[in-house]
Amino acid sequence: MYTYTDFDRRFVRERAAQFRDQLQRHLAGELADDEFRPLRLQNGWYIQRHAPMARISIPYGTLSSTQARALADIADQFDRGSLHFTTRQNAQYNWIPLARAADVMERLAEVDMHGIQTSGNCVRNIASDVLAGIAPDELVDPRPFAEIVRQWSALHPEFAFLPRKFKVSIGGAAEDRVAAGWYDVGLLARRDAAGALGFQVQVGGGMGRTPIIGTVVREFLPWDQLLIYLEAVLRVYNAYGRRDNIWKARIKILVRAEGQRFIDAVEREFAEILEHDLGGDAHLITEDELDRVAAHFAPPPVAADADAAVEQPDDPAYARWLQRNVLAHRDPRLRAVTLSLKRLGQSPGDVTSTQLRAAADLADRHSHGELRVSHEQNLLLPWVPASGLPELWRAARQASLANPNIGLLSDIISCPGGDLCALANARSLPIAAAVSERFTDLDELYDIGELALNISGCMNSCGHHHSGHIGILGVDKDGSEWYQVTVGGSDGSHRGPAAGPGRIIGPSFSASEVPDVVEALVDLYLGQRTPGERFVDWARRARIEDLRAAADAVRRDTARENAA
Amino acid sequence: MNIVESISDAWQPAVDAAPAPGQLIALERWAAIADTWPQDITPGLLLPNDVDPREIGIDLGRFATIALQFPKWTDGRAYTQARLLRRRLRWGGELRAVGDVVVDIAPLLARVGFDVAVLRPGQDPKAARGALRFFDGGNAHYQGDARDPRPLFQKQAPAQVGGDRVLVAVGGARS
Repeated sequence: MYTYTDFDRRFVRERAAQFRDQLQRHLAGELADDEFRPLRLQNGWYIQRHAPMARISIPYGTLSSTQARALADIADQFDRGSLHFTTRQNAQYNWIPLARAADVMERLAEVDMHGIQTSGNCVRNIASDVLAGIAPDELVDPRPFAEIVRQWSALHPEFAFLPRKFKVSIGGAAEDRVAAGWYDVGLLARRDAAGALGFQVQVGGGMGRTPIIGTVVREFLPWDQLLIYLEAVLRVYNAYGRRDNIWKARIKILVRAEGQRFIDAVEREFAEILEHDLGGDAHLITEDELDRVAAHFAPPPVAADADAAVEQPDDPAYARWLQRNVLAHRDPRLRAVTLSLKRLGQSPGDVTSTQLRAAADLADRHSHGELRVSHEQNLLLPWVPASGLPELWRAARQASLANPNIGLLSDIISCPGGDLCALANARSLPIAAAVSERFTDLDELYDIGELALNISGCMNSCGHHHSGHIGILGVDKDGSEWYQVTVGGSDGSHRGPAAGPGRIIGPSFSASEVPDVVEALVDLYLGQRTPGERFVDWARRARIEDLRAAADAVRRDTARENAA
Repeated sequence: MNIVESISDAWQPAVDAAPAPGQLIALERWAAIADTWPQDITPGLLLPNDVDPREIGIDLGRFATIALQFPKWTDGRAYTQARLLRRRLRWGGELRAVGDVVVDIAPLLARVGFDVAVLRPGQDPKAARGALRFFDGGNAHYQGDARDPRPLFQKQAPAQVGGDRVLVAVGGARS
């Protein structure tokens, strides 16, 4: 894991002090709402339905057990004893009074954490692969690059007020597990014909009102030029991105409108930085710097007597957990284990402070004190000795973290929705709960197989409904909540076909109809699938008329409207 | 970086045609008056924030100051203009931030190369000076800026310092 240097530590403490100064001026009436708002946003503080929402940065999803315990302590001391993990691998609190915001930032700084650029029209937290540094199919560990980009983008003075938010993800493996096509910039490690390391650069992906898969602007960018290329992309965007309409301000709109001219402008800017600028080459990443950062991510030692063999299960529950929650590791003596945050009675991605402390204890005992937050809103232990799996399973089960449903229909991704978020058009958590309650039988879930069901409470798409194999989007019509359903979306990983948004299957449904619609789609799939065919592959080929008919057949509240 | 209040600023947008000291001339007016502008009065240039400073095609040497505009303080285009003026066009004269300039953007202005922040009415100059004190007076940052183009990792490795202009072959790959 990356460990903070003295400089890093001073930096987050200075940020906390700066925020305290701004907050105090705001509370004293010297800093008006409009002037404070962008400042608090760039520290992660939204004003939400009930209280401020605080988004805490978890760079590339990596968390130490010490940090996890601090998050749990903050939940107890400042919030209501729980927190939420997001699809962008961050953590969120929902009930902290603004007057205490500076105290929280100082407490976070004590464990090398912060909320820098977790909101606002700036470069957001850098996302990466939950299996970074441990996946068998990895070309290069993306975390050193993610950390270098994190540092470079932190309080970058030129790019603090972009037209809109800007999200970067970095993957280092053959499989795209970082949804690169869905990011403003998606970077995937590649090797050229000579074996040199670089990145494929996609720009202009995004969800929201206009789902677009990014355009490949560079097939191969040498690794040392990464920061300069990002600078060029951001400079072109900052100068030319639309600022007249918030719905057209993301870089995806600029890339779509300008096409090749955008790419040419970026390439020209990139060349000019290097050839003409005073100190233009200063941000070429040096071998020394890469080595320095990479050293932080050296794998922890494995016990000399570690054994690659996994104790064979005689308990079917353990067998299921091994099947769904335990992943292969680059080191054959180790495994990656997912702690499921998807269980009845709790919202997707939510943990109580008690559960988070239990996860921290499991990380200390089984995973060198390291946890990862996944895009799917679960926790992952990256360094688990194969021999310790039975013990880990029992302990995780005790802590309600061993639900063997990873990748299945009940492993739902969801934003907090209208229950907590002021932006939402509709609630998402009751929908997630209703669908989970409908599909509780594990045999049935296993029979259905791989299925990503993603729920967003509004077009901002925090629940990534566009990339869900089934996507559910809350919409507001005449002041009441409705849900649009899409089928066949994909994030670009091997869980599905190439990245792309799903197809809409007719007019919106009422909340109570949604579980029936999901069930009808699943039934249609079970009836039409060919041997071994996954839901998402079927969904891509299924006739839209069949999908619509199946969904329409379960309409009750919306039947009259559609008949009219 | 100097903090001044717009009301007492020595430089003001020109409101009439008669040349006088302390006038900021809008870019679109300059072409028409450049030839007749008296040599003993050095004007300032007022640049809209949607103009690419590389493409304005006039002699910047005629001006004592360039004023970049913030129509809204959350509109960040002038940061990029300042960056280009300083480090690509090597503008060594004065850069002023004008318009909706508020206290808390002072640190950003200083780092991209502004010399003067002209606060909009109602903003407290003392508070703006106070905002500049964090991060060791704006020096404790990761990425390079107008004061020092080197990122932290170059400063920490003095053997590799390359602050002067160096031509680099684009597209060169390392293994």
